[in-house]
Amino acid sequence: MSFFLDLEGARVPIDILARRPVLRCRVDGIDYAVEELPGADEGACILRVNGQDFPLWRVVEGGRVHLKLAGRTFSVRLEDPLEGAGGGNGSHELRAEMPGVVVALRCEAGAPVAAGDGLIVIESMKMQITLAAPRAGVVATVHVTLNETFQKGALLVALHPEEAS
Amino acid sequence: MAITHILIANRGEIACRIQRTARRLGLQTTAVYHFADRAAPHVLAADHAIELQAEIPTAAYLDVAQLIAAARATGADAIHPGYGFLAENAGFAAAVEAAGLCFIGPQAEIIALMGDKLRAREFAARHGVPVAPSCTQTGDLETFLREAADVGFPLLIKAAAGGGGKGMSIVREPGELAERALTAAAEAQRYFADGRVYAERYIEQPRHIEVQILGDSHGEVIHLYERECSVQRRFQKVLEESPAPRLDGALRDQICNAAVTLARAAGYRNAGTVEFILAPDGCFYFLEMNTRLQVEHPVTEFVTGRDLVEAQIRIANGERLGWAQSGIRIEGHAIECRICAERPEEDFRPATGTVALLREPRLPATRFESGIREGQAVTAAFDSMLAKLVCHGATREEAIARSLEALDALVLLGVETNVDYLARLLRHPAFAAGELHTGFIETHAASLVPVSLAAEARAAALLAAALTDDAFRRMVHDIPEPYASMGAWRN
Amino acid sequence: MSRIRSRLNTDSSEYRENYLASQRRVAEFREKQEAARHLRPPRDVERLHRQGKMLPRERLERLLDPGTPFLELSSLAGNMAYDGEAPGASCITGIGMVSGREVIIHADDSSIKGGAWYPLTVKKIVRCLDIAIENRLPVIHLCDSAGGFLPLQSELFPDKHMAGRMFRNQAILSKLGVKQLALVFGHCTAGGAYIPALSDYAVIVRGTGAVFLAGPPLVKAATGEVVSVDDLGGCDLHTQVSGTCDYPADSEAHAIAIGREIVAQWQHPPRWALGRSAIEEPCYPADELYGIIPDDIKRGFDMREVIARLVDGSRFHEYQPAYGTSLVCGYANLWGWRVGILANNGVLFNDSALKGAHFIELCNQNSTPLVFLQNITGYMVGREYEARGITKDGAKMIMAQSCSVVPKFTVMCHGSFGAGNYGMCGRAYDARLLFAWPNHQIGVMGGEQAARTLAEVKMRQLERTGQPPDQGIIDAVYHETLKAYQEQLSAYYSTSNLWDDGILDPVDTRNALGIVISASLNAPLEAPGYGVFRF
Repeated sequence: MSFFLDLEGARVPIDILARRPVLRCRVDGIDYAVEELPGADEGACILRVNGQDFPLWRVVEGGRVHLKLAGRTFSVRLEDPLEGAGGGNGSHELRAEMPGVVVALRCEAGAPVAAGDGLIVIESMKMQITLAAPRAGVVATVHVTLNETFQKGALLVALHPEEAS
Repeated sequence: MAITHILIANRGEIACRIQRTARRLGLQTTAVYHFADRAAPHVLAADHAIELQAEIPTAAYLDVAQLIAAARATGADAIHPGYGFLAENAGFAAAVEAAGLCFIGPQAEIIALMGDKLRAREFAARHGVPVAPSCTQTGDLETFLREAADVGFPLLIKAAAGGGGKGMSIVREPGELAERALTAAAEAQRYFADGRVYAERYIEQPRHIEVQILGDSHGEVIHLYERECSVQRRFQKVLEESPAPRLDGALRDQICNAAVTLARAAGYRNAGTVEFILAPDGCFYFLEMNTRLQVEHPVTEFVTGRDLVEAQIRIANGERLGWAQSGIRIEGHAIECRICAERPEEDFRPATGTVALLREPRLPATRFESGIREGQAVTAAFDSMLAKLVCHGATREEAIARSLEALDALVLLGVETNVDYLARLLRHPAFAAGELHTGFIETHAASLVPVSLAAEARAAALLAAALTDDAFRRMVHDIPEPYASMGAWRN
Repeated sequence: MSRIRSRLNTDSSEYRENYLASQRRVAEFREKQEAARHLRPPRDVERLHRQGKMLPRERLERLLDPGTPFLELSSLAGNMAYDGEAPGASCITGIGMVSGREVIIHADDSSIKGGAWYPLTVKKIVRCLDIAIENRLPVIHLCDSAGGFLPLQSELFPDKHMAGRMFRNQAILSKLGVKQLALVFGHCTAGGAYIPALSDYAVIVRGTGAVFLAGPPLVKAATGEVVSVDDLGGCDLHTQVSGTCDYPADSEAHAIAIGREIVAQWQHPPRWALGRSAIEEPCYPADELYGIIPDDIKRGFDMREVIARLVDGSRFHEYQPAYGTSLVCGYANLWGWRVGILANNGVLFNDSALKGAHFIELCNQNSTPLVFLQNITGYMVGREYEARGITKDGAKMIMAQSCSVVPKFTVMCHGSFGAGNYGMCGRAYDARLLFAWPNHQIGVMGGEQAARTLAEVKMRQLERTGQPPDQGIIDAVYHETLKAYQEQLSAYYSTSNLWDDGILDPVDTRNALGIVISASLNAPLEAPGYGVFRF
């Protein structure tokens, strides 16, 4: 497997080639010997790359690694191999996982929604549950009305099929 | 009655800056803040802190009634407005005085006079301070266009009531004039609720030279020499320095004397700045007067060895300043870098984030003035300026070198900033040569982009980033033997 | 432990000739391996890519931890069967590291006839799962197979060690608490459907993954029902409705990422604590093995020279150095682990057989794994040796070796003929892993020996029937026998039939042993015990 990083819009692969006697990594197709040495202060360290020492500062914030090295500032994002993949049910439909009644409708046909937006509130077995949009998109049809009862598996809200990208 | 307790009607670095002098003079301070700033340094360092209620954070610092109430609540007897917010609001100055408090700044009527660009310009012309050929819209747009064309091209069109670059545009061809004037008028109307526009001869490659003046309530007015603020982006200053490089001594005296003439004519009291446009031919024209402490005041403080905030407080106290003009001397050279949360590569678009790691440069003859601390969120709610880095040197070269050293030593991570860009500006040969003008950044845009990095340094940055990742670290350190020693062996 | 002082003369013409011959053999091996791994009809590769599928080796590289080794097993299985239609026996197996855990991987190769299982495919997967059971190695199945190759069903379905054994082994693994993960990239049809079903975790790729006992054509034939692949056994059906699979994945890369995360949750199993010293490279370069191996199966060589190029620091503690010298026994470290080595330096005599049996017992009592380095023409024959009890002494060695509880590993370094194969832990004796060098030959006896024997038999037969001894007939018998033996004795023939776990380039032997010793430590050690020795 490879790791992928994003630096200034470029997707850079990093591979670990060897660990002994020193760590060797391939960055963007070039091999480097790498050693990580402690820095003088919290947030500081020294990276020895092919024998050359790079004192640097780094901090992880907001899903990115911010670095200062060689008088320059960098912001790097590490790709999560699981990101981007929906992993959900991949469908356009919000179906009832249990029988119940609609207690609130929070969307209407044609409305754009973001992933995680509450679309409908249902009540089942004395518990209210908000069903959220599985992805960003546009509501195609709301199949139920307020106070309507439904059975398990009933289609509640459908999103427009995603455009092929 | 002497000032004992100052409410600082501001935030960020300038609030901290004023507190420092106040503390040194043995005065109490009251900080005001919006909820969003509740843990900001200016709040934590003050003797008293009062939260201002407002839906929008900036609105809090513009709420005159709450500010005066806050001063009353903590017993403050003076208000320092800093810069921005209410600093040049004549109504505020008047309200403060009306509340029986001391306003640390000029008289309300002078703020009003200088705040109106057209009146200020007329005032300057009337008192023999040179102004650029111009015309002002008095009647309909048709007449204005005819008169404007007579001034000659290129022309600068701007809002009569405005500042800060809003509604400003350069017209090079007569054919463009009508359309640009209409656009400027519309913008002027939108931003300043005053649609009048104004045209003046546009000076190619002008320099922005401003003069620091101080006037006391005893009629004494002096200048503390000039500052060069030509390096600008989007009409906002980026680098400021004092003295101005490559400025002939006689011309310097003429400019400084013109500034004193204007301030004296206005009966100016407290600190102020007279801004001029300096043409390549040596002609200079009055631009405007800022009736407040400037962002870039520390460069003047460095070269003159004077504390301008102290001067402001003493003047507001009614004291005689007692600084003879002949005693004000420039020693060495100082440069200020404005550190902003922005993306220079994307036309200086403001950036947001969090100050996740902050290590201030600790170097001699260096002032790092900030109102930020680690963990602080940088939002779009306030101005993008996070801090100022001001360095002094015996010569301009030394000041540049020290500034570069300080920029290198400064660690401000977690939000994108212009720190790297500032270093590129300071290293630029045209900057080193002092070949400055307000179009410097546009002219040299192509040579101010980041140079491509050595492959090792780039790899070091990427690997250092990867090594913060738990999954990556585990892949590096947690592979047992003999697997770890074999590498990617295949049989 | 003292270093072996090599007596190899690397300047000699013999060394040079051996070296060049070995290089040629290794090049031939690499060529066959390369073809088996990568030579595919472009049409099949294009079809896979069109379906958004990776090639099985691309999946493997993505699954494995970066910069870690992978020991592929039986890469040339099936190379001499089915007219070469099933290179590698249409699947990949091997031991590697995923999320820091040592695992064994079975990957269907859908670039060969849709990943259909040939009889040798089944044999290879069953062997893979046997290794998993013996070494308690977690298994990752990369599923993408059209199912059994129907024309050969009689050779892959009915017997004890055929298809059913895969699922039986999966169930046994689960009972032993050994984890299994199935990543369903393509079809798992008929019996193949049980692979994800019998795994602890199953991930299935939406769009291309499918699991069913019968595919749409069979369903239509059986019941008339017309149904799509996806509706019959696709990702959403199995992850939302049937519960046959656990995780839906949007792509193969996503499935692999999920799989890696699942494996990362597995606890590191307790390993059997084998004495461990610091790792030391051998003092002599591994490629000198090329110059040691003779270009003639009949020629012997000093196995200590081989040991010197395999073990840590080339250090060897030799046991009974002066007794039974045709069997070299002793202790050494391999990748820091203590092992006991038994290596042939000639035919086994009574004393060498007794020495071997004794050393095996010592290693068992001392919890020391055994490494057998075979180059054996058998136990000594003849009246004198029979009278001295060579058969009962050989039986003692077989008894001690068979009943060993410590892990055993065998490397076929050269010839393996006759009963010597038994005593030295041949395939029948449950070596955890058994590897062969390309020069290896195996059989009841050598080719020339067999040809001479059969020619002799023919001559007697002619004599008995009173016919004249026709030299032409006798020569024909000799040459036919020799030719058949030469093919069947070769390492390629044996590895094609999975009589070993793969051919190794001799220079890879040290790494291969390191990985398999490491793998073997996952299984707990039983107490030693033997049957009745005949004294």
